[in-house]
Amino acid sequence: MSKEREIEIITRNLGVTFKDDQDKDVVALTNVNLEICKGEFIALLGPSGCGKTTLLRCMADLQKPTEGDVHIQGMTPKEVRLQQKFGFVFQQPVLFDWRTVKKNIELPMEIMGRSKGERSDRADEMLEMVGLKEFANHYPKQLSGGMQQRANIARAFGLDPDILFMDEPFSALDEFTKEKLHEDLLRIWRATNKTILFVTHNIQEGVFLSDRICVLSPHPGRLSAIVDIDIERPRSLEVKDSVHFTELVAKVRNSFEGGSIA
Amino acid sequence: MEKEIRLQKIGRRKSLRQRAKESKKWQKITTVVYPLIFGAVLVGLWQGQILHRWFHTDTFTLPLLNKIGEIMRDNMDKILENTGATVSVAVIGLVIGSLLGYLVAVLAALFPKIGMGGPAVLGAFASVPVVAIAPVLNNWTKDLSDEASIRSMISKIIVVTLICAADMGLNAYRGLTEIKPFSEDLMAIYAAPKRTTLWKLRLPNSLPYVFTALKVSVPASIMTAIVSEYFAEYITGVGRQIRENIVLAQYATAWAYIATACLIGIAAYVILMAFQSILLRRYS
Repeated sequence: MSKEREIEIITRNLGVTFKDDQDKDVVALTNVNLEICKGEFIALLGPSGCGKTTLLRCMADLQKPTEGDVHIQGMTPKEVRLQQKFGFVFQQPVLFDWRTVKKNIELPMEIMGRSKGERSDRADEMLEMVGLKEFANHYPKQLSGGMQQRANIARAFGLDPDILFMDEPFSALDEFTKEKLHEDLLRIWRATNKTILFVTHNIQEGVFLSDRICVLSPHPGRLSAIVDIDIERPRSLEVKDSVHFTELVAKVRNSFEGGSIA
Repeated sequence: MEKEIRLQKIGRRKSLRQRAKESKKWQKITTVVYPLIFGAVLVGLWQGQILHRWFHTDTFTLPLLNKIGEIMRDNMDKILENTGATVSVAVIGLVIGSLLGYLVAVLAALFPKIGMGGPAVLGAFASVPVVAIAPVLNNWTKDLSDEASIRSMISKIIVVTLICAADMGLNAYRGLTEIKPFSEDLMAIYAAPKRTTLWKLRLPNSLPYVFTALKVSVPASIMTAIVSEYFAEYITGVGRQIRENIVLAQYATAWAYIATACLIGIAAYVILMAFQSILLRRYS
């Protein structure tokens, strides 16, 4: 990633402190300085309690930082959010039971007031992309967990957002489904060239998917290293068997501070 | 030998699980057959005057079923008139009360700071016994109209309204606020205005809860209408007819109205279940 690219997201001295039950300050995140380029695939990696989800939510304006600030495309996260330039894939597939898969994918477009025909065409396109074309008129409960998460991803891409936030989207899935979705995600990302921020606690997942890994350490949550992942793209699953992949995994593992990862 | 026994046990356990699965068909059959058997037994005991012997009563106070049927047939016009009065009280009260309760729930969900008191007040109403408020409201509404039939109707409708509003308000509030995790974040990410979140997330989410409320309040509205008729000034209504006829010792006629009350209740429940199976199909 040596070539000059436009910087899209900047965080400066970002920190989040909240009060616990006994009114004591708990530092969830402190002093995060980060620059993310347009079209980059960034993994936020760390053990639980390191503030990676908090960092993601601050950038997506789902949470207010208590210190420092975030700039996205020269604006505040709130301004960017109100322009509907974000997509977010949550840990669980947040599909509405009373809507068919297709109608769920159309939801963001409905909120934006797109026309019926446009919504339908775009939803069909997204269903095709994630391989759920035959399930368009099924209800979420009729789908498996992996299929639900695919519908979730289709919905996030449907609005063609500039920035896509993904918060451990595959952590509840089995290994086979996960690998399939990894490949799908990389394919979709290449085709659409989004900026993706991907939270995970799985080192292999982070290395396989991302351009750079931001390693976060806990107590207090902080950015402890940024590791460049210089594996050539497009990547296939065989990459995981290469020596270089193993070396990168080791490098990431060794960059945790505080020895919290064995 | 020991090995054989263990194998048998495993075999047995498997067949138990299978039996549980197969029993679905039987479960369906028994839900129909048991009530039918119960009904047939009851009819037999009643017509055979065995009930009368058990309860030390006679066919004057507990008339035979064919006699009740005869009276229902002979007084069809009068029964229908009274049924109309009771059903309109129940339906009007149910509709106004449910809408009112839902509105309070929406306000509480949208403006929790000032609205949360609403469901609490409804909860208080829910705990007031019908027999206590019915006579009081009957007195309050005395000056509302010169027509006894109208002021009596209003007083009965208010009682039903209060009961139904309480039930709907408490359930709907849960339906509007107990939302799948991250759903609200999802709406926030797409910068959905509050009314869009209400319309596309909260209202559809509350639909199953609305039916939970109705499953209680539909029978309750009929029951409340009948009970408040006891205290009403005007003597039309199934409940009032039960009372009048018992007072006049016309037990057979009283029983005809009791049977009518049962039929109204069953009919209302069947209609509600039909609506539910259509509207909630996609939720399950």
